[in-house]
Amino acid sequence: MIFNYLGLAAGLAAFLGIWIGHVAVREIECRVVSITLPSIGFALLGFLCEIGAFLSASNLVSGTLGILGMTFLWDALEFHRQQKRIVKGRAPANPANPRHARILAEYPTATTLDLLKREPLGRPVGAQEAIALIKAKEKLL
Amino acid sequence: MNTFGLVIGLITLAVIGIGAFWVIRGERVLGYLWWPYFIGAGVLLMVTSGFIKNDWCSALAGVIGASLVWGATEFKEQAIRAELGWYPFGNHKKRPPFAKIIQKWKPPNL
Repeated sequence: MIFNYLGLAAGLAAFLGIWIGHVAVREIECRVVSITLPSIGFALLGFLCEIGAFLSASNLVSGTLGILGMTFLWDALEFHRQQKRIVKGRAPANPANPRHARILAEYPTATTLDLLKREPLGRPVGAQEAIALIKAKEKLL
Repeated sequence: MNTFGLVIGLITLAVIGIGAFWVIRGERVLGYLWWPYFIGAGVLLMVTSGFIKNDWCSALAGVIGASLVWGATEFKEQAIRAELGWYPFGNHKKRPPFAKIIQKWKPPNL
């Protein structure tokens, strides 16, 4: 029986595409003053991958490029969703970034704390306790 | 012209979208300690995809497998989001087999 590498390639492309995009969007959005250019960059990369997928005769190459392209196109939208998370305080704002500094000044919900950077407790946690838990962890580090 | 990649890419987007839904639901009903089982199921599905002759089915199995693995890495943060009230908190979670051992392991978070 011949092993069909297409499934493995598709799975790896999907996993790596999501992972790389997830980290890249967080890191880039945190540092750049405007998210317009990175959004356009990722959209362009996505379109190029899709064109490559369309032109390739091999299903292995076409599938891999098609999946990577779609994840890059999604990442282009994720920059805007990440900015919304910063506004809501669901992702930490970077005060050294003028765009984030403006968000911190305008929206009381925005915070510099990463409220997800702890272990689960298995019970509901109030806003004040959540902040105290993160600050206690930061002091330990 | 080959539309295989474009269509598989669109299917992947749908699978990722469903993934976000089952991670929320799965954490609420089961709890984040089920993460090793989801990683195992995902890896098994990705390996199994190699034994599927049909390219469409093989690619779909691979993508679903990857989505299961990725979802497992999201479980811990989802548990904290629910604790914070960003998502509904499940009060009656089902503990997985070997929960005491799993509790000693650090959950993956990428």
